[in-house]
Amino acid sequence: MARAAAQDFSWRQFKVMLRVVIKGEQHLDDTGMGLGDDGVIKRRGLLSSLGSGARKVAMGFLFLLVAAMFFMMGYMLGEVGVTPYLAFSLCVVALVGLTVLTGLYQAVNILYFVRDLGYYLTLPISATTIMWAKLAHFLGMSLLGDLILLPVALGCLLSVGAAPGTWVAVTAAFALAAVAVNLALVIVCVPLMRFSRLAHDKDLFSRVFGGLIIVLALAIGVGSQFAFRGDGLASLASGAGGLLSGGVPAVVVGVLCPPSLLARPVVEGDALAALGGLLGMLASVALYAVILSVVARRWYFEGVQALQGAGGKRGRRVEGAELTQATRTRGSFAANLSRDWKMMVRVPVFFNQFVLSSLLMPLYFIVIIVVSGVVGVSQAADAGMDPAALLEMARSLTALLTFDSPALAWCAVGVLFFGLFLGFSSYSFTMGVSRDGEDFFFLRGLPMNWSAYLAAKFVSPFALSTVPMLVLFVAAIVLLGVPAAAGAYLVAFYLGATVSLGLLSLGLGARFPRLTWDNEAQLVKGGGATLMVFAGLLVGVVVMALPALALLAGVLWNVLAIPAALGLALAIFAVECAALAWWVFGPTAASLARIER
Amino acid sequence: MIKIDHVSKSYDGGATKAVRDLSLEIRSGEIFGLLGPNGAGKSTLLNMLAGVLAPSSGTIELDGVNVATDPLAAKRNLCYVSDSPDHLLRLKGHEFLRFIADVYEVPDAVRGPRIEELAREYGMEGELDNQIQSYSHGMRQKMMIMGALLPDPAVWILDEPMTGLDPKASWLLKQSMRRHADAGKTVLFSTHVLDVAEKVVDRVGVIAHGELLFVGTVDEMREHFKSNGSLEEMFLELTSENSPFAQAIEPAGEKDDEPVAPEAQ
Repeated sequence: MARAAAQDFSWRQFKVMLRVVIKGEQHLDDTGMGLGDDGVIKRRGLLSSLGSGARKVAMGFLFLLVAAMFFMMGYMLGEVGVTPYLAFSLCVVALVGLTVLTGLYQAVNILYFVRDLGYYLTLPISATTIMWAKLAHFLGMSLLGDLILLPVALGCLLSVGAAPGTWVAVTAAFALAAVAVNLALVIVCVPLMRFSRLAHDKDLFSRVFGGLIIVLALAIGVGSQFAFRGDGLASLASGAGGLLSGGVPAVVVGVLCPPSLLARPVVEGDALAALGGLLGMLASVALYAVILSVVARRWYFEGVQALQGAGGKRGRRVEGAELTQATRTRGSFAANLSRDWKMMVRVPVFFNQFVLSSLLMPLYFIVIIVVSGVVGVSQAADAGMDPAALLEMARSLTALLTFDSPALAWCAVGVLFFGLFLGFSSYSFTMGVSRDGEDFFFLRGLPMNWSAYLAAKFVSPFALSTVPMLVLFVAAIVLLGVPAAAGAYLVAFYLGATVSLGLLSLGLGARFPRLTWDNEAQLVKGGGATLMVFAGLLVGVVVMALPALALLAGVLWNVLAIPAALGLALAIFAVECAALAWWVFGPTAASLARIER
Repeated sequence: MIKIDHVSKSYDGGATKAVRDLSLEIRSGEIFGLLGPNGAGKSTLLNMLAGVLAPSSGTIELDGVNVATDPLAAKRNLCYVSDSPDHLLRLKGHEFLRFIADVYEVPDAVRGPRIEELAREYGMEGELDNQIQSYSHGMRQKMMIMGALLPDPAVWILDEPMTGLDPKASWLLKQSMRRHADAGKTVLFSTHVLDVAEKVVDRVGVIAHGELLFVGTVDEMREHFKSNGSLEEMFLELTSENSPFAQAIEPAGEKDDEPVAPEAQ
């Protein structure tokens, strides 16, 4: 009882702690939309202020753009006869799904894996108060992110001409649903962190969640290919409504988000029913808050203590011949590549962001190709066509890909567009140097070969993002029977596009590295990182522009003969690669030796 | 030998001067202790010697090699232990040492036995297969020192090297420094632990507000102060508000005085 009393909530201490958490801690931009402080040390100067302001404006614009897209989606749902209740159900189901998969990881990070926690616990403040202060801040920030889904329901309300009171009720109901699902997750998270061994290994925990998120992304990506066609949106909304209408799914969603069970009277009922529903939702949120208080008072502090005592795995004793073998000589490039690869794979945030995510794209394509193939074969069989005959037909078409055919030039244009799409993943190259953070300044004290350092930084993301796609690309060329010369040309063209994109991204990242982060998540999450991903597209445009012009001069404007256009485009890539390689491994590498804190 | 010639380092376009027109020569075969209060400019100076920071003005030479114009050759000739041992934490101990050996091009025949010897001396034999992040602060410091000693270059530059070390490791490091200096090579280290400095160094330099206030042996310092007190007492007097040296120092960015040291007078 003494322990429980010691962990009682104190309103006065809560206010003090909340202020400290908001102002004193370095935050990771929990919204992920660049609207919060990403923890980067602010530098003085007009340029920096402009940069920070521009970043916020850009991210605000992006947020509004996505919200507008969702609003239009909701409006379209209303147009095809989807009721506001079904649209609201879709929002809630999406909210619950996304929060379950990403919110638990975020909650654990916020409540347990934070540097300042050990210090807070030395202060005469109850652990429950600390948890609520951190949770309140987390809820405030995550609500901002969750609100991005609400426009789907609001768009539908506009479409059906709902009364203003319904708009208010739906907005309030969604906010309560968002709070409830986050509270439910923390109620799960507290005993999990107290008793689960998995949760005590931060690295393993991060990797497991990274894997789950990849699976989710894959499922959403593939699922959306089939859902967002024809009446797919309406059926999606209808399915979401079905999830809340009864049975086991309704119980699961209802437990995770009790306000969802009271959604119908709030959205479709009269004013009194809506008010009653909202009060019921509020009561369910209050009940979850009480349950969380009880759970936290019992297990939060113990969970934190258990975590502090958890140690890493211990290795074997390495000595003698084994040690000699393990420390044998390598060249500068191999030493840097090995170091960089190990650091990337062993830091969970980097592993999730740069290894798993890079592998996502080829996986995504494989799944899409397989699923589309199976569906296509099935549909062809239903229509009485022989799938083998279809493949033969495709091969007879690809046999026409010769150097004087516009078809090959259009294929090259397609490769360019694909290369442009790969601009999203060029972020892995851009972040190469920044990943080293403070370690970079340790390396600065060593007699480093900076060209070898950058070469290693190029190879890791290239092997992860470009090579698997290249294998798929070659497999498709072989399967479709593309003539060898044309196939080799397309492969060379693909390599020219990806190598030049990678080199330019790497060089820009090395010229403007971000080395002053405290925590890996600061580097790869938040607004700055999101902007970098979109900036990758611009880099792609810069690299692809000239070869694209050369191709279009042949196939669209007829200024050049097709073989000349094809040759010129490839030659431009070769020149770009050579020039960029010189720039990256020469002047840019030299500039690294002059970077100061 | 380390030769520092009129070196200054400023930040914020000259508004903040961390090191002011500092000149100093550290001879081969000696251990030189750099003393100074927090924020005196010790780490800035050592970072410039290691080539991590570029001087705003002046030149630095290590065994005749200019650090600014030929940084790679200069760095091959020195090892540097910074004031923080938290580097490359995800590498295992042997992976870290292998990386250092590769960068310094330590031959196979030398690195294997040397790593084993260092690991044995510093009590890290059982830890080499663990990631550095699992080490305690003292063990991380030992790993950084092992990394610095592995290539065994002519010049050792160590920033607060004793911090976090257990007594045995601290004693070992002092022995290594003595052996290195006796072999005709150079050791420069900064410290807050004045007892350590008093027992190990051949000469000391006292730095405050980026200026070198005193350079000489501990005995010369005693003679200068006409004192039989400990180095700690002399240090406190030297860097106090009432010190004639400290009074010569003006606010940052206003004046760059020559260091007031017996050798310069």
